[in-house]
Amino acid sequence: MFANLVDGIFWDVALWVFAIGVLWRILSIFRVRNKPDYSEPRGSGFAGAVGANLRRFIPRSEMITRTRLQVVAGYLFHLGLFALLLFAAPHVLFIEAQTGLGWMPMPYWAFIVAAQLSFIGLMLLWIHRVMHPVTRLISDADDHVAALLTFIVMLTGCMALIEQFDGLRVFHRFTVELLMVYFPFSRLMHAFMFIPSRAFTGAWFGRRGVKA
Amino acid sequence: MSDSLARGLEAMRAQMDTRVMSYMSSCVHCGICAEACLFYTETGDARYTPIYKTEPLRKLWRQEYTFWGKLAASMGLSSKLTEQDLADWEELVYDGCTMCSRCSLVCPVGIDIAYMIRKVKEGLAAAGFSPEGLVEAGKRAVEIGSPMGVTLKTLQATIRVQEKETGLKVPLDVMGADYMCLLSSGEVAGFPEFIGSLAKIFKATGVSWTLSSDYFEATNTGVQLGNSKMAATLLERVVAAAEKLQVKYVISPECGHAYTTLRWDAPNIIGRPLPYKVVHIMELLDELRRDGRLKTAGFADEKLSYHDPCNAGRRGGVLDQPRKLLNMVAPDFVDLPETGAMNWCCGGGGGVSSNERADELRLQVFSAKKRQLDAVNIEGLVTACSNCRHMLEDGLEDNDMHDIELLGITELIADHLVEERS
Amino acid sequence: MSSSKRSRIRHHRMVVFSLLSLLVLTLVLPLIPHAVAELGESTGRVANPGTELWRDVRQRDRSIVGATQVKGVDSGVLINVHGEDWRQFRMQQLIPYGAALMGIVLSVILLFYLVRGPLRMQGGASGKKIQRFNVFERTTHWFTVGIFWLLALTGLVLLYGRFVLIPLLGPDGFGLTASACKEAHNLFGPMFLVAILMLFVTFVKDNFYVRGDFTWLLKGGGLLGGGHVSAGRFNAGEKIWFWIAVSGGMVLCVTGLILDFAVLGQGREVMALSHVLHGIVALVVITVSFGHIYLGTAGVEGTLSSMTTGNVDEAWAKSHHDRWYAEVKAAAADADETEPGGVASPAGEG
Repeated sequence: MFANLVDGIFWDVALWVFAIGVLWRILSIFRVRNKPDYSEPRGSGFAGAVGANLRRFIPRSEMITRTRLQVVAGYLFHLGLFALLLFAAPHVLFIEAQTGLGWMPMPYWAFIVAAQLSFIGLMLLWIHRVMHPVTRLISDADDHVAALLTFIVMLTGCMALIEQFDGLRVFHRFTVELLMVYFPFSRLMHAFMFIPSRAFTGAWFGRRGVKA
Repeated sequence: MSDSLARGLEAMRAQMDTRVMSYMSSCVHCGICAEACLFYTETGDARYTPIYKTEPLRKLWRQEYTFWGKLAASMGLSSKLTEQDLADWEELVYDGCTMCSRCSLVCPVGIDIAYMIRKVKEGLAAAGFSPEGLVEAGKRAVEIGSPMGVTLKTLQATIRVQEKETGLKVPLDVMGADYMCLLSSGEVAGFPEFIGSLAKIFKATGVSWTLSSDYFEATNTGVQLGNSKMAATLLERVVAAAEKLQVKYVISPECGHAYTTLRWDAPNIIGRPLPYKVVHIMELLDELRRDGRLKTAGFADEKLSYHDPCNAGRRGGVLDQPRKLLNMVAPDFVDLPETGAMNWCCGGGGGVSSNERADELRLQVFSAKKRQLDAVNIEGLVTACSNCRHMLEDGLEDNDMHDIELLGITELIADHLVEERS
Repeated sequence: MSSSKRSRIRHHRMVVFSLLSLLVLTLVLPLIPHAVAELGESTGRVANPGTELWRDVRQRDRSIVGATQVKGVDSGVLINVHGEDWRQFRMQQLIPYGAALMGIVLSVILLFYLVRGPLRMQGGASGKKIQRFNVFERTTHWFTVGIFWLLALTGLVLLYGRFVLIPLLGPDGFGLTASACKEAHNLFGPMFLVAILMLFVTFVKDNFYVRGDFTWLLKGGGLLGGGHVSAGRFNAGEKIWFWIAVSGGMVLCVTGLILDFAVLGQGREVMALSHVLHGIVALVVITVSFGHIYLGTAGVEGTLSSMTTGNVDEAWAKSHHDRWYAEVKAAAADADETEPGGVASPAGEG
């Protein structure tokens, strides 16, 4: 009964809420009035926008020592997660079944390594968030819920790995649906919003001839 | 709701733009901005975390533009932005931030935090939560024409001294000159040699320039306070003076925030393009160097380094020019560690040095600059901002670092000019 | 009678005689071994021709590996002869003794708490704080805790689940749970290695023996009365726990990796031995961790904050780690002297 819901209506609802919610969040930033910039630029804003989007993937050398935990754990988590999401064999098959688009999945051992690195990154980041006075001050419920939900999705996924019990697969899919419904209303939107944000800042500094 | 809060909310609401909406949706509370901000790194006080300093703006955004925020507000659940919040944030925003924007360069999701601090100030200022010292400076700027109370008479007296010392005329109100130079009160009061240096350099390079007796102040207390109306008033005076003298360029002197305001923010504050171009004095000097008009002889024998004023360098884009200029006169030059666009703020900009309440804090956070200086064994530190220079003086004095001489770049160049045979 | 007729008759007699002899031999010869066996054993049992083969397969007389064309580890061993021993050990000894150990220790701790109560700071809390563990130390500790407990709980389900959970979830529900726990356990196992290494590197330097450790031990650390005992940053009890955790953790990791990655050329005997070691060490470390958790929370007043905020009350430091407290104070005084501005290090939230 539950499995039918999860594989059926819950999935449809989650998919639509996610798609429409994300689109709405992205477009809604343009619903405010903006003033034009009358200043004469020294450099290209467009180049700055693109440049900042690429450059900010690499931390500045002056910051690396101070922020090494966030940088290392952050990359472990994000890169691991992308590898899992897009190249884990069960996911590749799922996407192919849903969309017809398929590609080469990664081998089993790579999946295990990606999952472990991703977990290490996520756990270190969340624990550090709770331990460090700065992040303890500025973090809110959204941060913790997002981290917990992501952890649960990953954990249930790994628990269902040997595909022996459909119940585990269904539970994993259910947690994914929860995450998808939560996503547009949360901090997780940074996954999309970082692009316009980096672009705006990059353009602003780019007009001044500064590489941001 | 009190009047004060209503005014504050209205002022901040007007500040919501696409950039703010995008930034607020991107922040993941990673805390990396804190590691770039000297007010956090030198005090260990997490409240100086840059993104935390924008909390009033974030709260307003949340309760008016987000699903959870609007839901919670309608159910009377969430913590809405209160007058107490504005009061509590005054010290964090005005004492604990110079809008140096070092944080803006390091945010992984690309948030320009300093941009938002400027907007928070609009709300605080409108609600009446600004430091007394800065408010008084603003009053003086509007009424007298200078935040430090430097009158035209004082300026004229200073000009006469400089003319005597240099044997050159300092042009005042010359119609049709190419360049109108503005001055910061800090320069007039503390480093008047700047004026004499300009006279020497412009004579040697044949630049047609003038000062204006109608209005000469480069800095903008309106921007420091977060009062756009005041900022616009002061800028209109610059425009009026420039239009009256029909100049092509306005020179922004040795100052950081003055440059970003005059060059980059002014047209947007007054709502129209400027009828003149704006150059930082360093930009002009470097142009003269490139054209071969600026000739120097001799070298400074001290080991020198350069302090990039945050708003001229990182936020203004004038980064290469000072180094090219120093290359002419300082053979023994070494850059500070973490320099250029990532230089550490002196701690006194953005109105902090006009705010007596912040004196202890800005001296405490000078330890960041001290760390940079301790890493290089220099005899002289050159800078291109009179406010930085004052702050650096205070800091060096407070730390008993008497071996380092502070130099203004224009004066340094002027001291090494090849004199024209008259 | 002619001679040719006499030859034919002789020929016929020879044929008949040969055929009869052949018949007799055919009937009699097979009976000879039977007769011999009959004469040798008079028990009446029939010898199984496969006895030798199966005796060797069960390795009853000697350890022997057969030859086979199948290439693989252990493929010459048809039956793991120690398998049943291993199963008996797990069911009759590991499980019950493990439960007893954990149960007894938990009860002792509870009793101790009820009778002795928590250890308090001398003179009560002073209100002044000093930093004991920095952000990285605390992050490393809780990271290890998280992984340890995930592994411990899933591991305990694998060991005890059938007794505790089948009544609750039914056999199908338990099958699903156990499968999930096994997958999670296998995935998190290698991560524990990372955690243990981080823990080791972070804390090892203060965990070596120093003078006073043995005295501390002899005095029971003041746990059984007799007032507070002098100690450095870590007392002997903490050091013992560190080395148990690290060495136990390493054994768990190594045996765990052997069990997790069965494709490394190990045979069933190695796997069984690894499992035995893994189980014993896991139960021991879990049991000792009960003591660690007790002392870090209810057992000693003011301790938990050292790992949460990183700060402890100065009275706590003076009472439990007086030599460390003195070192910290001396270092702070030095720093104050050399700083011209006299900026004190911010204890605060840090």
